[in-house]
Amino acid sequence: MTNAMSPVADPPLPQPDLLAAIPRLRRYARVLTGDINRADDLVQDTLARAWEKRRLWAAGSDLRAWLFTIMHNVFVNQRALARREKIQISLDDGGEGDEAWQIPVRAAQYTRVELTELLQHVGRLPADQREVLLLAAVEELRYEEIAIALTIPIGTVMSRLSRARAKLRNAFADAPAGSAVLKVVK
Amino acid sequence: MDLLPVTDADLNAYADGQLAASRVAAVEDALSRDPALTAWVADARRHNADLRDALDPWLADPIPERLIAAAEGPAQTAQASVRRWLASLAAVAASLLVGLGAGWYARDMDLERAGTPTTFTRQAALTHALYAADANRPVEVWASEEKRLVTWLSKRLGFAVSAPDLNSTGFALVGGRLVAGHQNPTALFMYENGDNQRLSLQVRKQMVDGGEVAFRYAVENGVGVFYWIDDNCSYALSGNVDRAQLLAAGRVVYGQLAALEAAGKK
Repeated sequence: MTNAMSPVADPPLPQPDLLAAIPRLRRYARVLTGDINRADDLVQDTLARAWEKRRLWAAGSDLRAWLFTIMHNVFVNQRALARREKIQISLDDGGEGDEAWQIPVRAAQYTRVELTELLQHVGRLPADQREVLLLAAVEELRYEEIAIALTIPIGTVMSRLSRARAKLRNAFADAPAGSAVLKVVK
Repeated sequence: MDLLPVTDADLNAYADGQLAASRVAAVEDALSRDPALTAWVADARRHNADLRDALDPWLADPIPERLIAAAEGPAQTAQASVRRWLASLAAVAASLLVGLGAGWYARDMDLERAGTPTTFTRQAALTHALYAADANRPVEVWASEEKRLVTWLSKRLGFAVSAPDLNSTGFALVGGRLVAGHQNPTALFMYENGDNQRLSLQVRKQMVDGGEVAFRYAVENGVGVFYWIDDNCSYALSGNVDRAQLLAAGRVVYGQLAALEAAGKK
């Protein structure tokens, strides 16, 4: 374990594990930002932050969960900053700011139209619900890990997850399969 | 068995496979009696599976170089940037060393500190373009009267100048002329090779104190210019030739000037 009194430099993070985590970080970042380029910026910022804060990572603990935590914090900070800037520009610009969410869906990437449709619906979820859903459903983190990663009580994890799922069900109920207007970006 | 009423949290946990074992029986009992709950769980599980199907292909995307560098950490990033910097420096240094001998590039810094009179390179390029393009009268005094040319220019400039011999690089002296400079008059020597390519060497007194040798290469309006300061003189070697040719000529010019200087100090 690390010794806080030790004068030696912070131990390095395990590079192979960091490299291995990149694909999942990118995926998470894409779902968070809804923009492939911004997603990679977010991953880069996250990795830089991880190195800065490497003393806070307990060696042997789950590096991936820790990286998700960092990414969440970087994302939230950036969004808060962007929102403040936005308010200065336009005070009456309401909304979540998620209208720009658009994950490019490659034509023919999905053989099933429901997948494209599902992504569209996920993109319309508020960011905090989308985040929890992704961590639970796709990254398969334990709820306790999600609570730690997002620094929220576990009850909040559960309520966000419930709301996210309710919205997805309603979205499919409102728009029967195949009727959704799809934005297909090459 | 835990017989508390089934909650949303239970259903989510059941769908996600995270339900505590003690609650499974209660949830399954509720599901068996309520088709709506069963449908809810089925939807949640299908959405999970679909989301993974939709998003898993992203994991195979090639990772951009910048993210790999970021994962390697700050030390490696710094090392890599130093490596890149050294590589670019090496490229510059190699061209300088090949062309003009050691000792030049270190003094590059001095020039940057003193402020590079970039106007001289631009002016040199323009002057070169003006006279080199003149087929019939590129110079005022032809090479056949080299001695008169050198004497005249030395007198007008106020210090001894000479026309370096570039024959070894295939360029023969065409002649020279006096051109107006920013503060001091400038001597111009014109050279030409068998392909009718022309080089011009412009020399003038350097007004900036210090007398450092400094060196820079610039391309101004398509004309390559090697520019340096030595012994309170500014030199600009210009030509529409490629960099390597200009370097080769620059090396010869510098070598001859250094030899002259050394001889003069004896």
